[in-house]
Amino acid sequence: MFGVGFVLALALAIFSIGAFGVLTRRDPLVMFISIEMMFNAANLALVDLSNYLKLVQGHALVFFVIAVAAAEVAVGLGIIIAIFRTEKDVNVDHLSELKG
Amino acid sequence: MGLNDILFAIFSFGALSSAIAVVLTRNTVHAALHFVGHLLCLAVLYCLLNAPLLGVLQVMVYAGAVMVLFVFAVMILDMGEQEHAPLFNSAGQALGAGILGALLLGLLAWGLGRGGLDQALAPAGAASLPGVETDNIAQVARSLFREGALTFEAVGILLLTAVVAVMVMAKRKLES
Repeated sequence: MFGVGFVLALALAIFSIGAFGVLTRRDPLVMFISIEMMFNAANLALVDLSNYLKLVQGHALVFFVIAVAAAEVAVGLGIIIAIFRTEKDVNVDHLSELKG
Repeated sequence: MGLNDILFAIFSFGALSSAIAVVLTRNTVHAALHFVGHLLCLAVLYCLLNAPLLGVLQVMVYAGAVMVLFVFAVMILDMGEQEHAPLFNSAGQALGAGILGALLLGLLAWGLGRGGLDQALAPAGAASLPGVETDNIAQVARSLFREGALTFEAVGILLLTAVVAVMVMAKRKLES
């Protein structure tokens, strides 16, 4: 009943919701969670297609994506906390230190 | 409609609704908890899509390690005082982002449809190796450590670099 297209559509919808979150929210943590959501949408599409094509290479790729995402979360949250320690404010609209 | 279809419907709906809840909730802690629900729904979907190893990895790495980091960051940043701030900068920005998101969705769907996904994928699907469901973990491991051995090592270096980078960032802030 639920074919390859249904899961692809679900992944597209989740990706778009994540993009919407990154564009609208000002809380850097929620923006970060939205980015993770987009990662997960890509993973879901990969798993769906490798299930459809009966290939396991997609699973290996998802494994790598999860590892890269974990490294990215560690570095990103470290940066956010470092900014908060110097600025005492993590609203992305107020962070204009890098502005030329 | 078998059990798999029912589970599929339930957890697809759960993944979608919790994703929307993450973006629309005001409280950061609630967003993080909705995201945990999203990840768990996706883990079930992975298992239903014949990828049990990735389902387990999703729960361990994402719902476990990554979310602990997120909740830890929420605790350090003390986001409670921003709870009553408006959700979006302005209605216009939210509307624009919504239109952009819908455009992105439409564009992706159009691109996939225009690419003739079914025709493009069908021959490859027929020619690929059968029986991927029966021994998934062994096959993934074979793919991971034969074709992707170099990538695997690169990921190891990446993780090491990330750990060192976070340590350097944390240390420098303590000195100043």
